Amino acid sequence: MIEDHKKKQKLVQIILFLLLIIVAFIVVAPFVWMVSISFDRMANIQVPFPPTFIPDLFSIFNYELVFENGRIFSAYLNSAFVTFCSVVLQVLAALLGGYAFSKGTFKGKKLLFIIVLATMMIPIEARLIPLYSMFNAAGLLNTFWPVILPSILYGFGVFLAKQFFDQIPDSLREAAQIDGASEFRTFFQVYAPLAGPITATLVILSFMGNWNEFVWPLVVLNSERLHTIPLFLASFSLENGTSLAGMTMALATMSVLPIIILFVFLQRYIIQSIALSGLKE
Amino acid sequence: MKTAIEAPANVQSSRNKSMKSTITWYLFLLPTFLGIACFIVYPVFESFRLSFYNSNGTIETWVGFSNYERVLGQSAFWNAVYNTFYIAFFQLLLAIPIGFVLASMINRIHRFKSLFKVLFFLPNVTSIVAAAMIFMFILQPEVGLMNHILDTLGLQTSPWLSDPATSKWGVILLTIWHWIGFVIIICLANLQAISPELYEASEIDGATSLQQWFFITIPNMKGTFAFLLIMGWISGLQRFQEIFVLGGAGGSPSRSLQTMVALIYERGFGGFEFGIASAITVLLFLIILLFTVFNLKLTRLKL
Repeated sequence: MIEDHKKKQKLVQIILFLLLIIVAFIVVAPFVWMVSISFDRMANIQVPFPPTFIPDLFSIFNYELVFENGRIFSAYLNSAFVTFCSVVLQVLAALLGGYAFSKGTFKGKKLLFIIVLATMMIPIEARLIPLYSMFNAAGLLNTFWPVILPSILYGFGVFLAKQFFDQIPDSLREAAQIDGASEFRTFFQVYAPLAGPITATLVILSFMGNWNEFVWPLVVLNSERLHTIPLFLASFSLENGTSLAGMTMALATMSVLPIIILFVFLQRYIIQSIALSGLKE
Repeated sequence: MKTAIEAPANVQSSRNKSMKSTITWYLFLLPTFLGIACFIVYPVFESFRLSFYNSNGTIETWVGFSNYERVLGQSAFWNAVYNTFYIAFFQLLLAIPIGFVLASMINRIHRFKSLFKVLFFLPNVTSIVAAAMIFMFILQPEVGLMNHILDTLGLQTSPWLSDPATSKWGVILLTIWHWIGFVIIICLANLQAISPELYEASEIDGATSLQQWFFITIPNMKGTFAFLLIMGWISGLQRFQEIFVLGGAGGSPSRSLQTMVALIYERGFGGFEFGIASAITVLLFLIILLFTVFNLKLTRLKL
């Protein structure tokens, strides 16, 4: 009887595993196909048909075309610069805010916290036009400022940081303050060094968000010279439609590469931080 | 009291001290609230104000409610609302149950759990712009991967994005592919948070795994489904990027893909009709607000 049960369990395991493998293959297939077309010499003239996952005529020709154009490099640099500045601003502001909401005692704390949470509900789309006019009036269109500056508000980051600091005991603060440390010193010398895990989470979430950001940069960065990776991709795609499959797929591959490499190395932390965002208290 | 050693100070200096401490805390919050003031409060009020003006960014004339009248009287607006809701509705209807079933399966297998998590989550980390570019080719009617597979399986092929009758389903497929990993990760985290004692107790009562899934797992996941529903609607109502790549701001073919945000973009930055675009923005904002309140009430999610 126990033997039977074990056999059945094993069978269930195998069936589940096979089903999952099939679904996983469907999910991953678009990436494999993308890479395959990008290495196909003839793909710009004719998309290989019937579709294959191994290119008929293997060649790095499409990548040579993409590199020759050179705009991909400046797009990478622009994306890197904008993302770096935004991440620094967001993470710093989120840690400071989260700390204050967790450890602070001050007037209006509850109300202010609700205001911060409410900001998450107000999408960039609802602010697109006034923000555009504002930066236009300041003469900052077609610079990176309008992309970077609004990052300073990171409501979800403040929320996550508060949750984290709530778990660190108050006794550390009391000890530091008996020694006469100011609130800022306590934060930077006692709590910030302990905030490694939450900082990593915030950096990852903020990095992915900013690297893939599209709508707002599209509005304020008209000059091609300033285009970030998603903007460059979209403008290439709009110009060429479904022609030039080889080049399009080489570009797509190049554009997803950094984030996929990052994901492969940090997947445990990325998945953890996403899971954290949806966990109830 | 904060400090253990409290000098018998007079009331005046103690008030000064708490005042000073409050100011310090406000300084911690300064960056965030500077951001809220400049990039949320001002723009939201300005959007509202602009919606009553005829404006191209430089010249403004007061027109009262006429922008709203024009927008609400236009079929383009209602078409955009319909498209936005249609795509979001079917995305949620399919992605949440499928994602939950996959998460339950991953949760049950003993090995390779993290491998599947990584594989399923991969689409979610890629930019939606790149994903849309890939799908443009996958859904290509003659040489695309999708129709080839359907054909090989003996199923009916579809013109997908090249026909207004089916184009929305092409986008729905893309959004499900892109979002399902998120659904799976959130479901998995919450599946693991269900107390194992519940399962042990029911096992003693002789419940089968399927019974456990229906009567323990699903009821315990209500909060998770509510969270996914709200997140899904909020992001679904803001849909723009994939539309823009696949069909431009107009959402071609024949506006069958144009979403509300695409319409705002088209009016605001294509035609520089800031007043009209602001009126659409305010309406979009109201819809998001109403929907979120409705969803919160419906699902009784505690935030």
